[in-house]
Amino acid sequence: MFVKAIPEKCSGCMMCEIVCSMHHWDVVNEKKSGIRVERKGVTEDIPHLCTHGKDCSFECIDACKFDAMKKENGQVYVDYDKCTGCRLCEKACPIDAVWIFEKKAYKCDLCGGDPMCVKYCSQNALEIVEG
Amino acid sequence: MVVENSCYAGKILTVDLSKKEGKRQKIGDSFALKYLGGDGFGAYFLNKLVPGDADAFGKDNVLIMAPGLLVGTAVPTAGKTAFFAKSPLTGGWGEGVMGGRIGHALKQAGYDALIITGMADEPSYLLVDDDEVMIKSASHLWGKSTRETADEIKRDEENVIVASIGLGGEKKVRYAVIDSDERQAGRGGLGAVMGSKNLKAIAIRGSKDIKVADPKKMMELLDKWYKIMVGSPAFNDDGKYGTGEFLEWMNAERGTFPTRNWREGVFDERKEIDPYYWAPKYSIKNKACTQCVKPCGKAFVIKGKYEGELDGIEYETLFALGSNCGNASVESVAKANELCDLYGIDTISAGGAIGFAMDLYENNILSRKEADMDLSFGNSDAVVKMVEKIVHREEIGDVLAEGVKRAAEKIGKEAEKYAVHVRGMEPPAYDVRGIKGMGLAFMSSPRGACHLRSGAYSLELTGKFWKYEGVDRFSADDKGQEISDMEDFMAVYDTLGVCKFSRGLFLLEGFADILEAAIGKRMDENGLLAIGERINNLKHIFNINCGWTKEDSKLPPKVRNPIPKGVAKGSFISEKEEKKMLQDYFEARGWDKKGIPKEKKIKELELEEFMES
Repeated sequence: MFVKAIPEKCSGCMMCEIVCSMHHWDVVNEKKSGIRVERKGVTEDIPHLCTHGKDCSFECIDACKFDAMKKENGQVYVDYDKCTGCRLCEKACPIDAVWIFEKKAYKCDLCGGDPMCVKYCSQNALEIVEG
Repeated sequence: MVVENSCYAGKILTVDLSKKEGKRQKIGDSFALKYLGGDGFGAYFLNKLVPGDADAFGKDNVLIMAPGLLVGTAVPTAGKTAFFAKSPLTGGWGEGVMGGRIGHALKQAGYDALIITGMADEPSYLLVDDDEVMIKSASHLWGKSTRETADEIKRDEENVIVASIGLGGEKKVRYAVIDSDERQAGRGGLGAVMGSKNLKAIAIRGSKDIKVADPKKMMELLDKWYKIMVGSPAFNDDGKYGTGEFLEWMNAERGTFPTRNWREGVFDERKEIDPYYWAPKYSIKNKACTQCVKPCGKAFVIKGKYEGELDGIEYETLFALGSNCGNASVESVAKANELCDLYGIDTISAGGAIGFAMDLYENNILSRKEADMDLSFGNSDAVVKMVEKIVHREEIGDVLAEGVKRAAEKIGKEAEKYAVHVRGMEPPAYDVRGIKGMGLAFMSSPRGACHLRSGAYSLELTGKFWKYEGVDRFSADDKGQEISDMEDFMAVYDTLGVCKFSRGLFLLEGFADILEAAIGKRMDENGLLAIGERINNLKHIFNINCGWTKEDSKLPPKVRNPIPKGVAKGSFISEKEEKKMLQDYFEARGWDKKGIPKEKKIKELELEEFMES
């Protein structure tokens, strides 16, 4: 399963980033969100988030020297007890879906199967793809 | 404890551009609860810092930016940030509210408000980088558009959100805007205040957490209000057509869509500018303010002669650059709108000024030579050209850049008969001859002719809202209390930073739970209204200190001409009605006959420190 972004529908409202950081960290801070929206000019709002193997060969897991990037039931997540923020995953990711903030990696972990970003995207710009 | 562990950042940043230094001050609980945030902080600090006789373009004027209290939380549609300064357009209270991420960024940098004083000695931009403050050279940005300026700064500085001015602000067009993320603090010329301070942009990099008192409760409330909003009937229409969605209704059913510089209240060619026509053709997707789940913005893309891209076109702009100029080409309206955004001027005032010039041209007060073009109503190319002339301050454009009031004084020859403004502010798209309560709202609004300080247009036009029912838009009776109540209601929205398009959903009751989750303190409707009333009185006190007298609050001469056609045909506002509504308003506010707050009211609102007896 992964969340598919449809940039043509994204309004750039930030709700996905807000609910993601609230759900995981109890605060609003899009730098701690597992999804981020790049805004370019008037017409482009591009959500970036991990597609859990659909667009990659799990380069982040291979790159991590601290065994902090893990895969379980097809979902890739960060083990925060082990992550050092070394940036190797960030550099390895082919789709810019992992980022480092204050020495920790942040990425989509699918919220345990009920992604908040999809739930609160009023524009249906985020979709769950099963399989 | 309210300020700690809540959505307050807890500090206010003051940057002195002359001394090139930043100072931080903490805010306390009692201050926070008295003024809440956003509008309330703006009203407090503008009164404290700007002397009444300050030159709007002088070093004594201060520019304040304050995100609403709920900006940066998970509360849907709470994404509004306001800018404040003495207005160069009205000479009084100046306030412009925008969406976009700049207020969110300020909170993440750790501040509930940013106060900018003094003047930079060369073109500069301000960089707020969490705890650091830098004033950087903007000489390479001077002359560039709002969009280019933001893009260039973003290339140099990673992860910043930018608010910028364009040529309009640099050239001190008295209705220049501040732009961020293609959203504008639009009214009253605050962009020109930035220009006068040599301040091209504000860039903010914030990386701190925005907390709330009860995150779990906040997520429950998000869920509740998200479902209500997305399920509301307005969601689909606003989503498809934006704020212009009710344009046809405003013409056909209400007859109060100002046309050709307020000659008529119905625009016959309206189908051409109606979003039901243009949205399917030119709108490629929705654009939202921060935290919005029911976006009214549209990414409008157009090719060919009027090639451009913009976030629009808003209802007010469809009037100002459209019907008010008799302009039935939506492509021309779009181009003029784009130019206004890029140069950074207010579309409402720009359209007001151009429509005024067209009226003068058709009445032989402005000659072909003076106009330098055929300025007949309906000349679509002229509307676009005139925007260029205004921002470059060329010929007649230089006069119109001063706003309708000053332009009429300069042109003379009975031009004042055609000047549609209240206290220097060109009005938005509500023909008050058929919406009399809005006539009062234009007069009583602290920033001049304004629809949003009261938001009473929907109440007047539908007859009901909140605690009001059976309101008659053609009557001038009982408007004082109604408008005063609506202004207090709306000041709460501005203070919390919540979009006014949510007003029918949250009302005020909805905020009790939300505030409890956000700051750990419940506030009921009466508590919130008392803060709204305090803020409105403070804004009025600012105007009084700037020299306001009740004679300044008057409607333009055109409101005496009956609406010539449509369902509101024959309606007008008489001098007697105008005076009666204003006196009723003073009484409802607890002000004396001259419109000065009585001592008792000042005491009740705990504003003694602002008012000399």
